[in-house]
Amino acid sequence: MRRLFTAAMVALLAAIGTAGAQTIVRVQGYGGQDPAIVQRLIDEVIGADLAAQGITINYEPIETDYNTVLVNSLSAGTAGDVFYVPGETAPGFIATGKLLALEDLVDTSAFIDTLNAVFSKDGHVYGIAKDFNTLAVFYNEDLFDAAGVAYPNADDDWTSFADKLARVAALDPGVYGACIAADTARLGAFAFANGWTTFGADGGVDLTSPAFAEAFDFYSGLVTSGAAAQPADLGAGWPGDCLAREQAAVAIEGAWILGFLRDNAPNLQYGATFLPKSPTTGLSGNYLYTVAWAVNADSKVRDAAVKVLEALTSPAAQQFILEQGLAIPSRKELADNPYFSQDSAEARANKVVFEGASHGNVYGFQFGTIGTDYMGPINNALTAVMTGSVGSGAALSQAQSDLTALLQRAAP
Amino acid sequence: MRRSGRELLPALLFLLPFLAVLVVFFVYASARAVYFSFTDYDLFNAPAWVGLENYRALFRDDNFLYALRNSLVFAAVVTTVQTAGALVTASALNRRVRGMTFFRSAFYMPAVTSSVVITLIFLWLFQRLGGVNYLLTAVARNAPAIGAFVLITVIAQTLQVWGERRRWRGAAAGSKRAVAALDPALLVVSLLVAAGATTVLGLLGHLAPRGTEAIAINWLQTRQEVPAGAPFPLRAPLPLVAIMVQNAFTTIPTFMLMFLAALQDVPRSYYEAAALDGANAAQQFFHITIPSLQPVIFLVVSLGLIGTLQMFDQVAIFGSAVPLQSVITLAYFVYNRMFPGAQLPEVGFASAAAMFLAALTLAIVLLQRTVLRAEGDR
Repeated sequence: MRRLFTAAMVALLAAIGTAGAQTIVRVQGYGGQDPAIVQRLIDEVIGADLAAQGITINYEPIETDYNTVLVNSLSAGTAGDVFYVPGETAPGFIATGKLLALEDLVDTSAFIDTLNAVFSKDGHVYGIAKDFNTLAVFYNEDLFDAAGVAYPNADDDWTSFADKLARVAALDPGVYGACIAADTARLGAFAFANGWTTFGADGGVDLTSPAFAEAFDFYSGLVTSGAAAQPADLGAGWPGDCLAREQAAVAIEGAWILGFLRDNAPNLQYGATFLPKSPTTGLSGNYLYTVAWAVNADSKVRDAAVKVLEALTSPAAQQFILEQGLAIPSRKELADNPYFSQDSAEARANKVVFEGASHGNVYGFQFGTIGTDYMGPINNALTAVMTGSVGSGAALSQAQSDLTALLQRAAP
Repeated sequence: MRRSGRELLPALLFLLPFLAVLVVFFVYASARAVYFSFTDYDLFNAPAWVGLENYRALFRDDNFLYALRNSLVFAAVVTTVQTAGALVTASALNRRVRGMTFFRSAFYMPAVTSSVVITLIFLWLFQRLGGVNYLLTAVARNAPAIGAFVLITVIAQTLQVWGERRRWRGAAAGSKRAVAALDPALLVVSLLVAAGATTVLGLLGHLAPRGTEAIAINWLQTRQEVPAGAPFPLRAPLPLVAIMVQNAFTTIPTFMLMFLAALQDVPRSYYEAAALDGANAAQQFFHITIPSLQPVIFLVVSLGLIGTLQMFDQVAIFGSAVPLQSVITLAYFVYNRMFPGAQLPEVGFASAAAMFLAALTLAIVLLQRTVLRAEGDR
């Protein structure tokens, strides 16, 4: 906190000292672990170049609920010039009319098309993806070896995958095959594998279709059968925690787990592979998680803001983020990155996450204008079934009616 | 009598800082909210007048009906529990006993602890593998030992009291100084006897813990409502019950302090006179303590109703750990519509709900005032 304050003071003094010569661009992003990395990105990679063009970045991470703060500051006219827009909330922010259309200002063709699509509406591109993530199966090699079970691999389908987890779980009462949360952000990927989509052709949601119900039963069944446990039941905050503490042999997460494992389980021998395939379709599914940099349509320093956005999404910036093990670059040209062929568990895992984007049925982590509210009813259904309080049929029809009501309310 | 202008001006000047704050942050803000409640407004587009549509929409919204029910049940239960609890703890602490200052401080601790911290601790306690279920499991498993202890205590106490009364009746017939059923001295003996007997039985292997399965009540992630058979308006969702327990725990000390302050003003001579006339502790409590505290009870009940009807923070922190409809209250409903994640805010709708909450609170407090007044005048 004090360091942040000092940094802010230094930035402020620098700004005052160079007033007139420098244009100040306010950049807003997430709090948590993010500020340390973005500050380094600004200081070490892009800052000098921008300063030469007479642009100073004033970086203001937001520590509380990012979306709420952004809605308020956008409506009050106090938002930054350049800021994050999360993929899952992008449609809502685009609808405010406060995001600048970027297709004529930035070369959007340099970025992966599916990522541009997440931030597009009616032919306009309102955000440039800074990076992306997909889900992969992260497994503890030692636990699989101890149980004498083959590692999960790209050929596994749900049945063989569940079987492997059950055999690892049989090893010891304190060890589970997997640690999975009651989370739509994971279940959805399995439903995609079965051919289900977030919204049907008619714009409605179908949770009672066999495609969804099968995935739901598979995912919740991992817990009810005892092969997997929920993080809360192991005293963990999230699945990465269970994996790091060797309470579970598998966690289904994205590349964000890598930095956590590096810090919390430096000696863990782990591997990563693609999500198991649906036995019905023979395909796997995945979510594409992404966050974009966007420019405030009301910015008074629009040209400078666009330059900052370009710098933040430049090849140099993306290479830096990739090598920090944080996320996968959104630029097409970085796909054949020598980094991916390095011989380390991290690089191999990053490659799986990168290739996950084009492996089977992949859709953006996005829920129309109702945003992440979409997940609430499904999460509740998962929890109810995983804790054994309701059967899956009843839970799904409850979720269906809750979600339908939610969508009707949101419809104009 | 009218104040002259010369006196009015300085008064106004002194009041100015307060009035300015009041006008800007309360009067102006409230007036805006009243206006918004009749419009369709999302912060980004200009408000459009829709008349009473928002108010009509409230009663068609499932979440609002849940919120209304939850708020009313919550207010009724928690206000009752906290007033009674505070009154009882205050009278217990209003004694001149060594070390009472320690107990007064200790009992007040929950009120000075941050409600966010307490909520997080309660979230842990109420988890499926949390402290509450652990305790219940421990009780269920050791039921034979606990049952034996209670049974032996009751038997020993009954025998002793019966024996003492017989002895007294023989010595001084008609005396009012008969032994009470829970006479402390006898109770200590009974407890010691029971503890000894239970230990012996345990060592002899008669009270082995039962191999009951671990109790895993799902307190939080559930839609279950209690009591199961009651009609909708009288049921409380289980997660809300958990919040009720927590809220009572944190608010009792504050109200206890108010009662304690008021109790210091009740003349000791009342109790002495009553004792001389043969009033027991319960009679003294109901006929001296409660009537003397009438104005404070009114204050405590009013504050309690206002606080519980507007309860928000604990629901917000329970947040996504529980199904929304199981904990949503009116105040949280307003917040939820005002800051709906990534959607455009429904300012008009949220304002209408806020106006409804304000009117409801006012109506309930006024009703409570008439009822308590009538009681006081009797």
